[in-house]
Amino acid sequence: MDLFSDLWMGLSVAISPLNLLYLLIGAMVGMIVGIIPGFGPSAGLAILLPVTFGMDPIGAVMMLAAIYYGAMYGGTITSILLNTPGESATVASTFDGYPLAQNGRAGPALVMQAVASFTGGTVGVILITLLAPAFSHVARNFGPPEYFLLALLGMLTLIVMIGENWKLGVLSALVGFALGTVGVDLETGQSRYTFGFAELIGGIHFIPIAIGLFGLGELYFAFHQGLHRIGSGSIAPYDRKKGFWPDLADWADTKFTLVRGSILGFVVGVIPGAGATIASLMAYSFERSFSKRPKNFGKGEMAGLVAPEAANNAASSGAMIPLLTLGIPGSASTAVLLAAFLLWGMRPGPLFMEQNPEFAWGLIASMYLGNMALLALNIFAIPLFVQIIRVPYRILAPIVLVICTLGTFSVSSSMIEVYLMFTAGIVGFFMRLYGFSPAALVLGLVLGPLAEEALRQTLTISRGSFWIFLERNGSIGIIVTTAVLLVVLPLMQRIGRRAGASKQGSVSEAEDAGV
Amino acid sequence: MKLISTLIGTGLRGTGLAAGCVLGLIAGSQALAQDYPSKDLDWTIAFGPGGGNDIMARTLIDIIQKYDLYGQDIRAENRAGGSGAVGWGYVYSKAGSGYDITTTSGSLITTPLQADTPWKASDFVPLALLATDDLAIMVSGNSEWDTIEEFIESAKETPPTLAGTGTVNVDFIVPTLFAEKAGFEFEYVSFNSMADMQTALLSGAVDAMVGNPGEIVGLVESGDMKALIYSGETTPPALGDVPTMDEKGWGVGVSMPRGLILAPDAPQEAVDFWRATVEKIVETPEWEKYIETNLLTENIKYGDDFGIFLKNAQDGFEKVLRAQGAIK
Amino acid sequence: MRIIFFVVILAAGLMYSYVAFTNLDFLTTTGRLGPGFFPRGIGVLMVVFTLWSMTAELQPSAAEGRSDAGGSAGQVALIMGFGLAYVLSLGLVGGIPATVIFLFITLSVLNRNRLLQNGLVALLVPAAIYVLFDRLLNAAIPEGVLPLPF
Repeated sequence: MDLFSDLWMGLSVAISPLNLLYLLIGAMVGMIVGIIPGFGPSAGLAILLPVTFGMDPIGAVMMLAAIYYGAMYGGTITSILLNTPGESATVASTFDGYPLAQNGRAGPALVMQAVASFTGGTVGVILITLLAPAFSHVARNFGPPEYFLLALLGMLTLIVMIGENWKLGVLSALVGFALGTVGVDLETGQSRYTFGFAELIGGIHFIPIAIGLFGLGELYFAFHQGLHRIGSGSIAPYDRKKGFWPDLADWADTKFTLVRGSILGFVVGVIPGAGATIASLMAYSFERSFSKRPKNFGKGEMAGLVAPEAANNAASSGAMIPLLTLGIPGSASTAVLLAAFLLWGMRPGPLFMEQNPEFAWGLIASMYLGNMALLALNIFAIPLFVQIIRVPYRILAPIVLVICTLGTFSVSSSMIEVYLMFTAGIVGFFMRLYGFSPAALVLGLVLGPLAEEALRQTLTISRGSFWIFLERNGSIGIIVTTAVLLVVLPLMQRIGRRAGASKQGSVSEAEDAGV
Repeated sequence: MKLISTLIGTGLRGTGLAAGCVLGLIAGSQALAQDYPSKDLDWTIAFGPGGGNDIMARTLIDIIQKYDLYGQDIRAENRAGGSGAVGWGYVYSKAGSGYDITTTSGSLITTPLQADTPWKASDFVPLALLATDDLAIMVSGNSEWDTIEEFIESAKETPPTLAGTGTVNVDFIVPTLFAEKAGFEFEYVSFNSMADMQTALLSGAVDAMVGNPGEIVGLVESGDMKALIYSGETTPPALGDVPTMDEKGWGVGVSMPRGLILAPDAPQEAVDFWRATVEKIVETPEWEKYIETNLLTENIKYGDDFGIFLKNAQDGFEKVLRAQGAIK
Repeated sequence: MRIIFFVVILAAGLMYSYVAFTNLDFLTTTGRLGPGFFPRGIGVLMVVFTLWSMTAELQPSAAEGRSDAGGSAGQVALIMGFGLAYVLSLGLVGGIPATVIFLFITLSVLNRNRLLQNGLVALLVPAAIYVLFDRLLNAAIPEGVLPLPF
């Protein structure tokens, strides 16, 4: 089979010692980024981007991707031990993860979350391997009309999933879109909103904004929540020797949960704008309805930890599909990953896998290895990560601020971008505080200009007629998909919301944090 | 390439005392032999790492290092921002210096037309044009058009849609001037990236596109696309048996200049030194390989000839862009 | 506070719309969508959505149960202030010295009475960054204008 030879070729690329080293570093950094509260994969990726400049492109992207999916593993450790999600996609893991730890079962919880994450991640990569070429094939028929509709789909999904605060979500996206219009207009060459500054001709860069919003903004927000006052004493105790390993019942109870969570997570992940947070919440609530002991959910039920963990990892893999085959990011963190690809001169899209097979398959193959590495790290290096949790946030926070600042500077050696990042940080804090959605802003900044470009191209091609959207099969397909999603998603959303209802509003909290 | 610049960087900072002494000695003895170069070279790259301009600059630096053509250290610095405005603005501010060098690209001409920069391309001291990035007009592999004549004939009846990267760019200027000479009209569709444009062409959304051979050669080889005509002096063999615009008598004489310039009013000795150095650089196998892998057209013009080339390009761009309302 | 944030966004939206309507053409001379087509739409929607959210905000029922001034507002302002001073000092004294100073001062406030710990962090973190960025990765670190031995 072609697929196997492609994958084999990818594996041979990924397995070079240097690339393996990068992969391991990426996995470690991803774990750490996931553990530090308020420092998610978006900011982590953005900051480490310049660090990869000196590296070979394949190794660099393998490493960055490992940070991206590794963060899903790390975020759970604090969910279980501290009842503080390290990352918004691991909120659902606190529901049963922390009670498990309180019941003295922290060890099994940590091991099972690693296994669940690994299963989710690996099922996700298997599905990528099987589906990405098919997606690419379909996407080859996509032109500007389809891209416009896809960008629209991504934004609509995101806003629908924000739920209650949707007006503020729309407003956030509009601000992002407005920022995206700064610079030279692609079609006419006219400058827009540059106010005569040469620095603005190229537009407002995405990386400083992402680092500001997700790095500094979240840091300030964590201060606001008083995270820096928490000492290290509140970590749930666990014992490496006694009762560390899960027992047979844990495995037996969750073997189908693993599969269900993974598949559900992957499907949700593929939808642009949905993402890992929503996937994990949905998986949690579905699992409860499947369970024989729904009453035990929230009190330390293993399946209640396994389901969201499998789902968020599978979702982060699923989000790679639109990224690789369409070049459309579905979430803030995949938008940063896209920026990384672009910096390397790779523009993902329908032709990407065909034109850069080594790169694409090397990346996919590396994800199999990366998930294995993460599984091992999670089980055997737990004491190391617990040490990081023990570092009080009041010490960690200034260091994060330093890394955000110097990381921004090194992207293009520009102090202006540092000031931009700093401003975005303050704005990001107020956005979080007042219920806006930084994720919607970032997606607006990325998808907005894409939508504008595509619509203008479409109308040039059709010579001004909007009927072109109904004349092309691809467009009709996307319109139908969008319509279906807009009906189905809110329903699924409602189910997901019910999951968190018992959990004092942590769901809306997670939704604020975005995908 | 990065490694080299790291080495240069480390050398510059002169951490080791001994190393510093040795460097000083070499510098001293050369200063006696000739006045230029007697100082470190500040090489501005007006774009971020990884782009075409960056790759060319670092290739040149690698060659100069390898053959020891410049006696002193070279410090390469990416001063990116504002489509080159920041980097070239920096070099412009170093007027009179012989130690501030930079590589050019199309933006050297277009950025001053778009933004209120204090400098324009003709302010700098032109050293040498090394190569040009030329364009080919491409159609989908299963298109009904096989030759440029067929394309033009059909275009005269119904103007086709033609895609290119950006508007204030050779991608727009070249087909516009070409169409003017060949006597047809087209609808220009501006894209942000090559990949999006290729997809648009292959999906049948646009009729034709223009692109650099380096970026499209894979699709020509796989039969997904056909080249119809080429704007450079000689068509790269990889594109197949394709005529050039000059051969057909529709030459446009505009292309993306890849060359070297010094800060305004640079001393004559620096200009002379670099002319001699460039002559050596273009003879190296490394340079040949660079031209080959990037499918550039080698086009060497020294000093004033390069200046005239820049001036012509600048006038051509300005005329077309003004006519289109892209600049005011 | 919350209302001030809305007012800022409203002002930005109005300014954005003003430029869109006065400087940017809705359609190009050839009748295509112009550079101002989207900005006008975005600007108008920004203003509409801000006003809509603000009216909901001004209703007394909405204001209840929201305590935005609470939390650790003072602490946030403190770290923002230190952050600003740090960012501004980068160009003056250079990336590494600024980092040492910033970390030491910030930690002295946040992590009181642990001089040794703070000192170690303030020295070791910048040292690690210097080795990683400057020596290993050749990534740029801001250079100061003051002549310091870095």
